[in-house]
Amino acid sequence: MASEDTQIRINDLSFDIEGKTLLHNTNLSLNGDGITVFLGANGAGKTIFLKLLTGLLTPCSGSINFQGGSLSVKTCAFVSQEPVILRRTVLKNMLFVLEKITSEKSTLAKELLSLMGLDKKEHQNAITLSAGEKQRLCLARAIITNPEILLLDEPTANIEPNSTTLIEKYLIQKVRSSRKIFFVTHDINQARRLADEIVFIHTGRVIEHSSAENFFENPKTREARKYISGKIN
Amino acid sequence: MNDISEAFVSSLGLILFLDSELLEIILLSFRITFYAVLISSILGIPLGAFLASTHFKFRNTVVSVLFGMMGLPPVVVGLFVYLLFSRSGSLGWMGLLYSPTVMIIAQVILILPIVCCLTFQIIESLHTRYHEFFRSYRIAKLKSVIAYIVDSRFELTTVVLAGIGRSISEVGAIIIVGGNIDHVTRVMTTAIALETSKGNLDLALGLGIILLTTAIVLNGFILFLRGKYLKTSGSTI
Repeated sequence: MASEDTQIRINDLSFDIEGKTLLHNTNLSLNGDGITVFLGANGAGKTIFLKLLTGLLTPCSGSINFQGGSLSVKTCAFVSQEPVILRRTVLKNMLFVLEKITSEKSTLAKELLSLMGLDKKEHQNAITLSAGEKQRLCLARAIITNPEILLLDEPTANIEPNSTTLIEKYLIQKVRSSRKIFFVTHDINQARRLADEIVFIHTGRVIEHSSAENFFENPKTREARKYISGKIN
Repeated sequence: MNDISEAFVSSLGLILFLDSELLEIILLSFRITFYAVLISSILGIPLGAFLASTHFKFRNTVVSVLFGMMGLPPVVVGLFVYLLFSRSGSLGWMGLLYSPTVMIIAQVILILPIVCCLTFQIIESLHTRYHEFFRSYRIAKLKSVIAYIVDSRFELTTVVLAGIGRSISEVGAIIIVGGNIDHVTRVMTTAIALETSKGNLDLALGLGIILLTTAIVLNGFILFLRGKYLKTSGSTI
């Protein structure tokens, strides 16, 4: 586990919408590095949690602190389940998120596209890419902003297996060591492959938080056991 | 029936031999339409994009008023602009009444809400897809508005086309503020009204044919652009 000052602290975080509580009073201390996977059934509140971390949603109460200060949106990059692609070339999509385009950044963009297997398509209209290629582009676009924290909301949910493999390989080999990753999935096998720690959410409550090894070998709650055995999804 | 066919043949003669009076009327029509649509697009497209992508206190009221203004009666606009620019009006000192400039102003008042509202509708749907992405990357407001316009450029050509259609076929407002003065403010629509009332059907019909041809050519051009875009992007507009 990370030391105190590298942890992400979540204090009394809750989120309501139209009188319905979607995330109940949550207190957590998460690793400041590695991959934290949010697991849970559909509608459990995983995406809400992730959007609260990015700042896309404002909590009804509570706070999120990283390295002693507030978790600013500036240090985060968010990749959603549905890839958002601008109607322009692949390379222009990459450069759009930059405040200033320098020759170094252009070179980095091309390198990232190459790592994502998109180097031959940099001048192609990004709308014509396959679903997997679009998601790989979104991931590369997130990385070029050099975020401290990368938040991925089921990025491989609707894409072809080879793109899933490429993304997972890239996250494990190139990203994990240099930045914090939050990853939402309900694919247990994917969680086993990626996770350093697991946050298990059930009906808007974090009911289990442990290292991936502990979670899969010795789940403490009945819901987690049922989830791992595939009885709830 | 005989009168119509004779007028039709005679009008074709006027078009084919490029009658100087006809040419003058056509060119003025195109000039007024060009400037009215250009000004309306420069103002209306960014305004529509801004309204579609921004939430502020009286946004819905502003949008409702603009949508209401889409159906402004041209003669009322003409009367309003006439009063404004007449000698006793607050802008009378400019001496613009019965000039092409005031005709452009009247047309801008008519076209601007159309351009703005159609842009609003197009960009609002794009905004639902993009806004979370823009927020998560902290994209500046101006940059995001430009991105909305650039990314909906092919849909916006239809908006411009709607503006051209409204402008070139408009008669009620420009006949009041322009006065339909020969060689000064006479355009195709006002000329058709006048020549028909005078019984000069060949010139009226010739102008009508040119109006129709202009509309068909413009529509065809826009459809060609859309088709080209669909072919290269594989996107559905």
